[in-house]
Amino acid sequence: MINKLKRYEKIEFLGEGQFATVYKAKDIETDNIVAVKKIKIGSRQEAQDGINRTALREIKLLQELHHKNLIGLLDVFGHMSNVSLVFDFMDTDLEVIIKDNTIILTTANIKSYILQTIQGLEYLHLNWMLHRDLKPNNLLVNAAGVLKIGDFGLAKLFGSPNRINTHQVVTRWYRAPELLFGAKQYSTCIDMWAVGCILAELLLRVPLFPGESDLDQLTKIFSVFGNPTEENWPGLKSLSDFIEFKPFTPIPLKNIFTAAGDDLLDLLEGLLVLNPIKRKECTECLQMPFFSNKPAPTLGTKLPLPQNIRKTKEEKPSLKRKLLDSAEGGTLSKRLFF
Amino acid sequence: MEDFTCPRCRTSKFQNPSLKMMVNVCGHGLCESCVELLFLKGSGSCPECRIPLRRNNFRVQLFEDPAVEKEVDIRKRVLRDFNKKEDDFESLLDFNNYLEKVETIIYNLTNNIDIIDTNKKIEQYKKDNKEQIQKSKNKLGREEYELEEMLEMEKQIEQARKQEIQQEEIEAKKKKIREKEALLDELMFSNANAQNILETFAQQAKEAQVEKAKAPPKSSHFSTGIKIGGTSHNPFMVPIDEGPLYQYKSVTIQTNGPEPPNDEEIVSKGFINHVRSETEQERAGGFKSNIACKRALQDALLGLYHTRTSFA
Repeated sequence: MINKLKRYEKIEFLGEGQFATVYKAKDIETDNIVAVKKIKIGSRQEAQDGINRTALREIKLLQELHHKNLIGLLDVFGHMSNVSLVFDFMDTDLEVIIKDNTIILTTANIKSYILQTIQGLEYLHLNWMLHRDLKPNNLLVNAAGVLKIGDFGLAKLFGSPNRINTHQVVTRWYRAPELLFGAKQYSTCIDMWAVGCILAELLLRVPLFPGESDLDQLTKIFSVFGNPTEENWPGLKSLSDFIEFKPFTPIPLKNIFTAAGDDLLDLLEGLLVLNPIKRKECTECLQMPFFSNKPAPTLGTKLPLPQNIRKTKEEKPSLKRKLLDSAEGGTLSKRLFF
Repeated sequence: MEDFTCPRCRTSKFQNPSLKMMVNVCGHGLCESCVELLFLKGSGSCPECRIPLRRNNFRVQLFEDPAVEKEVDIRKRVLRDFNKKEDDFESLLDFNNYLEKVETIIYNLTNNIDIIDTNKKIEQYKKDNKEQIQKSKNKLGREEYELEEMLEMEKQIEQARKQEIQQEEIEAKKKKIREKEALLDELMFSNANAQNILETFAQQAKEAQVEKAKAPPKSSHFSTGIKIGGTSHNPFMVPIDEGPLYQYKSVTIQTNGPEPPNDEEIVSKGFINHVRSETEQERAGGFKSNIACKRALQDALLGLYHTRTSFA
């Protein structure tokens, strides 16, 4: 234990929240920069029960996953009553990149970001895991332009028919319609909807469906795709929270994403399908023409990043925003103002 | 624990986000408001199994499965008496036998097997080992005490750190005041040119500031993610970098076992017939029974070829 404590040399304090404190640290053995998330166990009550549940989920699932597009849990160690998780250090996240209006995202850039996301997600789904909280804020990017999916605090194994899942997952703006209707059995489709929303946000630079409540969220979704019917979504009315909405007429995606090419629109239409059964899976998406067509996805080192990351990398290490946010205990995104 | 409906009033977590599920010794759940209603007098019977319950035995449900909750309860109760440590036994075998016995008792109580007999056994054990139990209890108390001490110590360290920061702040304020006074003194009593004095002090203050700025590399402008006024960078110059075109490569997972059947084989070879087919509601939520079937088959075949050497 003592060795591990000494192995990570604290560089900087990054943030403190309800459950965790995050430090930027240096791994003395490998000279790598890492992020150390120290889970607090404050009261005696908690010390008896064990550790915080989201942390336990992260440890349990991440220990067995190794993919270049998933955040790596490098180490876990305990000291006194604390447990610390050591992660790859990531410089920024997709939310920052989307909000930064000095950055221009070309089709090749978007292709690269979404490709890395889906590749990571494909591996995750093949291992029977759902992320359940995909949003730009959880897609971390490092200075080398590698995107990694982070925050596995809500991730869960799927595929067991008798296990009831909660539908109160995923930040609202990225939540699939079946979850909003209260589905308790679902699968990879919910992550795919979130990917569709993220892709749309990369194009629009504002969230596609910024719903203010669960009902408002459904209204916003239907105002684009029209109301679902028993024909295009069989069994819809059997969902526990189903309600009828006033009729909307669908708008073609072409009118919303005026600058997007046809292959890109095809991918969007494959991802943003109301009926979860018809939504495309990761593997199907990766085989779509959009990814193999020109322009080729931008190489990681040439991806546009916020200016302060590459320029002043040496003397001014940037904050790890994501870990900060999750340390504060809130998964709700702030509103975007433009 | 994430999503539950109270079996009595049918309120779900979705309708009432502040819903709290409670559970009693019988392992049946009930929401907080129902508990309040039904157990006004402090005791009553469980609406599901009719076992008489006392109100103060209700606890907030921690685990998804109420059966687990019940087991935890029973385990706590049984272990209060069966509290021997490894040191109390002469050999490991004895200790293991003792643990086995305890587990059997807990299992029986959880699954309602031979309850009367098992309870008798516990009573008997209590009588036989009265002294031992008391002794072990004291020992346990000591361990708890140590845990508390540890937490206390950590709190103190935390406080010391906070105090240090405060001290530093006060120190910095004092220093500022002193410098100002020094400047005034100098201006009042020195014979040198006032302009020169002002300049030297300004120089000193600047140097101090530079030093300070060097010490903590603040990256405050990063919180918005936007750095305003990027002058040297022309935002309309988008360099075009052509990388290699993407080609899909299918991902294979090392299973260390026989190849599991693929999606078509699950249907064509009839595996799917052995799984409960999905309900209409499940299908509407995006869940199909071939997902469950595929996972069960994969899990079953996983690692069947595993030998000690295959990992070396």
